[in-house]
Amino acid sequence: MNNSTEKAEQAVTIDISGYDVATAEIRSEAKRLLTEKIVDAVVGYQAGRRKGSAVPVIITDPAQAEKLLFSPACVNNLSIYLTKAKKEIRAKGKLAVVAKGCDLRALAGLVGESQFKREEVVIIGVSCAGVHRAGIQPGEPLTNSTIAKKCRECSVHIPDEADLVVGKLPPLPDLPPKEKELMEKLDAMTPALRWEFWKEQFTRCIRCLACRQVCPFCYCEQCLCDRGRPQAVDTSPRPSGNMGWHIVRAMHLAGRCAGCAECERVCPMDIPLNLLNRKMAEELKELYHYEAGMKPVEKGPLTSYDEKDDQSFIK
Amino acid sequence: MSRIGVFICHCGENISRTVDVEQVAQAARQMTGVAYACDYKYMCSDPGQTLLKKAVAEHKLEGIVVAACSPRMHEKTFRNAAQAAGLNPFLCEMANIREHCSWVHDDRAEATTKATDIVRMLVERVRKNKKLVPITVPVTKRALVIGGGIAGIQAALDIADCGHQVVLVEREPSIGGHMAMLSETFPTLDCSQCIMTPRMVDVINHPRITLHTYSEIECVDGYIGNFSITIKKKARSVDMAKCTGCGVCMEKCPQKKIPNEFDKNLGFRPAIYVPFPQAVPNTPVIDREHCTKFINGKCGVCQKVCGPGAVDYEQQDQLVVEQVGAIVVATGFKLYDITEKPKGSAIKGYGEFGHGKIPDVIDGLTFERLASASGPTGGKIVRPSDGKEPKQVVFVQCVGSRAREKGISYCSKVCCMYTAKHTMLYKHKVHDGQAYVFFMDARTPGKSYDEFWRRAIEEEEAVYVRGMVSRVYQKGDKVVVMGSDIAVGVQVEIEADLVVLATAIQPRDGADTLAQKLGISYDKYNFYSEAHAKLRPVECATAGIYLAGACQGPKDIPDTVAQASAAAAKVMTLFSKDQLEREPIVARVNEKFCVGCLACKKVCAYGAVEEKEIRDRQGNLIRVVAYVNPGLCSGCGTCQATCPSKSVELDGYTDEQVMAMLDTL
Repeated sequence: MNNSTEKAEQAVTIDISGYDVATAEIRSEAKRLLTEKIVDAVVGYQAGRRKGSAVPVIITDPAQAEKLLFSPACVNNLSIYLTKAKKEIRAKGKLAVVAKGCDLRALAGLVGESQFKREEVVIIGVSCAGVHRAGIQPGEPLTNSTIAKKCRECSVHIPDEADLVVGKLPPLPDLPPKEKELMEKLDAMTPALRWEFWKEQFTRCIRCLACRQVCPFCYCEQCLCDRGRPQAVDTSPRPSGNMGWHIVRAMHLAGRCAGCAECERVCPMDIPLNLLNRKMAEELKELYHYEAGMKPVEKGPLTSYDEKDDQSFIK
Repeated sequence: MSRIGVFICHCGENISRTVDVEQVAQAARQMTGVAYACDYKYMCSDPGQTLLKKAVAEHKLEGIVVAACSPRMHEKTFRNAAQAAGLNPFLCEMANIREHCSWVHDDRAEATTKATDIVRMLVERVRKNKKLVPITVPVTKRALVIGGGIAGIQAALDIADCGHQVVLVEREPSIGGHMAMLSETFPTLDCSQCIMTPRMVDVINHPRITLHTYSEIECVDGYIGNFSITIKKKARSVDMAKCTGCGVCMEKCPQKKIPNEFDKNLGFRPAIYVPFPQAVPNTPVIDREHCTKFINGKCGVCQKVCGPGAVDYEQQDQLVVEQVGAIVVATGFKLYDITEKPKGSAIKGYGEFGHGKIPDVIDGLTFERLASASGPTGGKIVRPSDGKEPKQVVFVQCVGSRAREKGISYCSKVCCMYTAKHTMLYKHKVHDGQAYVFFMDARTPGKSYDEFWRRAIEEEEAVYVRGMVSRVYQKGDKVVVMGSDIAVGVQVEIEADLVVLATAIQPRDGADTLAQKLGISYDKYNFYSEAHAKLRPVECATAGIYLAGACQGPKDIPDTVAQASAAAAKVMTLFSKDQLEREPIVARVNEKFCVGCLACKKVCAYGAVEEKEIRDRQGNLIRVVAYVNPGLCSGCGTCQATCPSKSVELDGYTDEQVMAMLDTL
């Protein structure tokens, strides 16, 4: 799904000096929170083994706060560390978490799904102009060709709902959307052609389930797709089971997915998974005027009944 | 390997006409796990059931599929038969080859194939069925009656007389309802107050009835046998314990010109008032909207003159919680206000009748107050405009009722009779007066009803004109009624002194909101729905809730009283047991897999899902999971469908069973 317009676009480099400000502020805030025992652990990013890379880290000692950083390599959505699927981290006590705008939307969704209470977590929001897309060498500058697709259409550069916001947002370049174009292309297809498109995509799937492991909303104790009696989805990477898995995934994320696009980033087969998530989100918006993750809600449109809901689909 | 028996019913010819039942039986014998299959003309009959019981013994059957009608019809019948044969009743299932097959198909070959498929699916389900044991829940032998009109009063007295505690809740300051407003009642013309007020006194004096007047239902929790009801007691501003009902406050209240709702605004009342002199309880209430003390703080006369010091301006609304086991809903009716045209509603109003604009165009209840000895005129029939005695009165029936194009298609049932009564009451009081009635047709079924109507025409000389009224307008001090006489085929114009409209009966305002609190269903007019139109006319589909009176549909007094007593009998049947048995088709949470997202709790319409804390031996909280209260669960399966990790299973309908049913196709 790489797009040919990429080459036609003029090279634009995004100023990320504000990320260093964010790094300094994250460190001092983490130190303060741990020293004053406001939290027991901080979930953030530290440098990875390769120069310029970043990986998630959980620190409990104020002395370790100096390890924390923020850079275009901080791609992971750290909200998964707060779900019940990661019990050993929750067991550390009260947590603080570093969150970009897109991550914050997942956090709001998780509060709505009773995974934690808002007051149990300190959210350190980061002003973020964008992060790297998949496959970029660590340490590369953030440009129109290295930035993630989702960041080109980001509407939450500043996570306002966080407990505090660190960093400084640079002037944002005007980048033409890419995912939107792809969406429009798919929407213009006939259902038969669209089916062929997805069939082709899912044939490549190797069922590594990285998309599941990285998704903040896939926190089930046991995934129904791993069950044997009854077996809902064929577990081997065969076309029918692949299709079943991806349909289950898309349906289970409808009204919940806030678009962090982590599933797409980690997919080793380059399947444009976020297109499905985004399509479901658009349907929800159109039908119920609902956008997931804008604020914690107790009942989303798919778990509530309103007699004013559109019922024209019942024939 | 299971040993399943398949019993295929012809249902007379209902099934065998379209489905080759013998072929289905033959196919069933080949299915895995089926040890015996047969067909019979009426499986539900005594010989049919005997056949089933014998086969269980002879073929050592372990499960049963009855291929016949809907489980709603005969599941209970066959489960009882299975139980009598020594099987767990929940190992017997119905394959619906009537409603789902023979009734809806014409092609014999295809219908037979489909019936075989339905049987095959049910065999798969029964193979995976588990023995279930009914759930028992205790019964609180205390009833709630909502509405203090004649329906509620009758139900409350019957239940209380039987030895059970009753909580009676009435929205208005006094019980009595509409019947207390009526003058004389058909077909015997006995005084409504004379037969009603003693019942009201019985209620307040009854040792087992707790009366909450000026109160509304705030919230309903729980389920059959175990309801918890929160009642909002609105601030009366008068301490009921201290008030002696002497009435000095009402005499001294300087606000005297407030339209009296009980008299249909024909008379006036003070701001501190009882709705009518025979009110029960006889304790006044302050109408805070009109009381000077509450408007600008500058009065307080009633408090000064009150000997026992009962007037309390600081009184607040109060919430009371009552535990009950059964609920009788008797919220009654209102008269269709034809001047209103609610936005977005199919109801269109009758602007052309001038009601609300012409003072001498009134509705039936207003006429009742004019004719009532305790009414604002002392029973003298006069025109609201000038107080003169009307010499020509036109009555119009079916105003709003039976008018599909105006939004109400039902018959209000009581208007034919009360209009006939009105013509008589009028004739008895104005001997030289003439009553005219515009009617579509007279509906007078009921004991002594038709005789009563004939009497109005033949002895009391009311003139009945068959036809509809098109317009009513003021001309000088007369009210002109334009209509048609379809018997003769001419247009008629009558210059009347007074026009009385028999407007349609509608459920009380807020009937839908109350239904939502109770979890009972209602029709498009907001009348409450009974569980079965013929065989369960007083029960709601929601267990433990019963209906009485006009809240279920238009009814006259005898029908209302009969239904109220029937509802009371149903409550007493429920209270005759110490424990209730509930079907064990309930959802269960697999706590090992539940991740506590509580989506099930959000979608549960019965409030059956709770949070449950899982703790280790030291008492440390490990996690929170969902828990389904089997007493509350109705087995609808919504939680099962919603659970993202498939950690909820509905007994009898497990995922494994449903998948097996699908796989066999």
